[in-house]
Amino acid sequence: MVWPNRYSSLWHMIAAPVVWAVHFCAVYGGTALVCARMDAPGLARIGIAAASVVALGLIWWIGRRAWRQWDYASRANRTHGGPRAEDRREFLGHSAWLLAIVSAIGVIFVSLPALFIESCL
Amino acid sequence: MKIGIALALTVVLASCEGRQSVLSPAGRDAEVLANLFWWMLGGAVVLWLFVNGLMLYFSRIRRKRHSLRVAQWFIFMCGVVLPTTVLAGLLIFALREMPQQREPGEGLTLRVTGESWWWRVEYWPDGADEPVTTANEIRLPAGSRSEIELAANGVIHSFWIPALGGKTDMIPGRVNRMSLEPTAPGTYRGQCAEFCGLSHAHMALEAVVMAPEEFERWLGAEARDARAPEGAEAKRGKQLFLSQGCGGCHTVRGTPATARVGPDLTHLGGRKSLAAGMLPMDRQSLVGWLSAPESIKPGVNMPGYDHLPPADLQALAAYLEGLT
Repeated sequence: MVWPNRYSSLWHMIAAPVVWAVHFCAVYGGTALVCARMDAPGLARIGIAAASVVALGLIWWIGRRAWRQWDYASRANRTHGGPRAEDRREFLGHSAWLLAIVSAIGVIFVSLPALFIESCL
Repeated sequence: MKIGIALALTVVLASCEGRQSVLSPAGRDAEVLANLFWWMLGGAVVLWLFVNGLMLYFSRIRRKRHSLRVAQWFIFMCGVVLPTTVLAGLLIFALREMPQQREPGEGLTLRVTGESWWWRVEYWPDGADEPVTTANEIRLPAGSRSEIELAANGVIHSFWIPALGGKTDMIPGRVNRMSLEPTAPGTYRGQCAEFCGLSHAHMALEAVVMAPEEFERWLGAEARDARAPEGAEAKRGKQLFLSQGCGGCHTVRGTPATARVGPDLTHLGGRKSLAAGMLPMDRQSLVGWLSAPESIKPGVNMPGYDHLPPADLQALAAYLEGLT
C-alpha cells in the first residue's frame, strides 16, 4: 500500500519518541506490577531487557528509514530550508533521524538501572 | 568592599561545616553523596569556564566567519556527544552506588514514626520480641549498617540526617525503608525535610553515633524501667506527674503512666535535647517547656501547665531531669 502522505506526515517524524514513550510506560508499569505482586526482580529484569531489545530494534528500523528519507549521502548541499516538497521531505527525515538517536539514548538510560540493581527494593 | 566579600564568604563557608551538613559526612552513604556533589560542582565549574571561554574567544578574539562543516561538527560534539557521555557517566556512577545504599541492615532495626511534631523511635535488636521505645533521638552503632523503617502518623514527614545519608519520606499508611552506615562517632542533627504543619521547622532530632560496645550498653540501659526519683523534690515531682494527668499521654515505664499519645519519657533526662531538638536538656528548659510549650512549638498538642505554682513546675522538672 502506498501512503499518500508518506513524506509529509509528522507521525513518521515522531515514531521513534513514541516507541521510547511506550517502552518507558511498559518498563515502569511492568516493573511496579511484577515487584508488587510477585516480588520477582529476576523476571522484571528479563522483561526490561526484552522490552529494550524490541524498542531499540524498532528505533533502529525507524532511524534507517529516516536516514534514507533525509537523503544525506547523495546531496552536496546539506540544507533543506526551501519551500519545496523535496525540502520538506528531507527536513522531516533529518528531524526523524535525530529524534531516533535521542530516543535510543532515552531507551538505554531508562533500562540501565536493571543492569545494576538486582532487587525490587 | 574586599572585607565585605571576605566576611560574606567566611559566613557562607562556615555553614558548610558542622553537625547538620552534607559536606561534613560521617557515614558511608553521606560520603558517597558528598563525593558526587564535589564532582558535579567541579564539572559544572569546568563546563562554565569552557562555555564562557568559547563565547569570549569567538565573539572577541577570533571574529571571522566559520565554515558550516566545522559549526555542525562542533554542535554535534558539544551538543550531543559530550552531554550524552557526561550524563551516562553520572547515571552509571549513581546506579552503581544505589544497591549498597539500599542494603538490608546487619542486625539492628529502628522504626521511626513521624508525629506532629516529634519522632517516635523504636529499637528492634536482632531477634527481639518487643521494641525499646524512646523519642526524638536516635542512636546508632558506628561501623555497621542499621535498617530504618519509616512511618508517619497523620501527615507526611521526611527523615533526614544530612551528615549520615540521604532523605526518605515518611508517608501515612505505608512503611518506607532505608539503611544507614555511620562511620564516625559523634552527635549529629536531623531535621524533618517535608512540610508537615505549623511546627515543621521545629521538628529536629539528635542522631548519636556510638562505638558498638558503648551502643550495646546504652541500649541495655534504655530497655530498663525508669529510675526511681531521688530526693524530696523529685519524689514530689513524680506524684505531681501522676496527679496532673501526664500519664494520659506519656509513658514512664515502671510507673502507672503508660499512654502512647505523646513521646515516651522513661529516659527523658538522658537525652541530648528537649522538644525534638529545640532546647537543651536542663532544668530551666524543662520548666519553660512545661509552663508554655506553645511558645516553643506553635500548634503543639501538649497543654501548658502555667497554672501550677513555680515550685510545682520545679519539682516536675527535677523528676523529669532525673529520668536518665
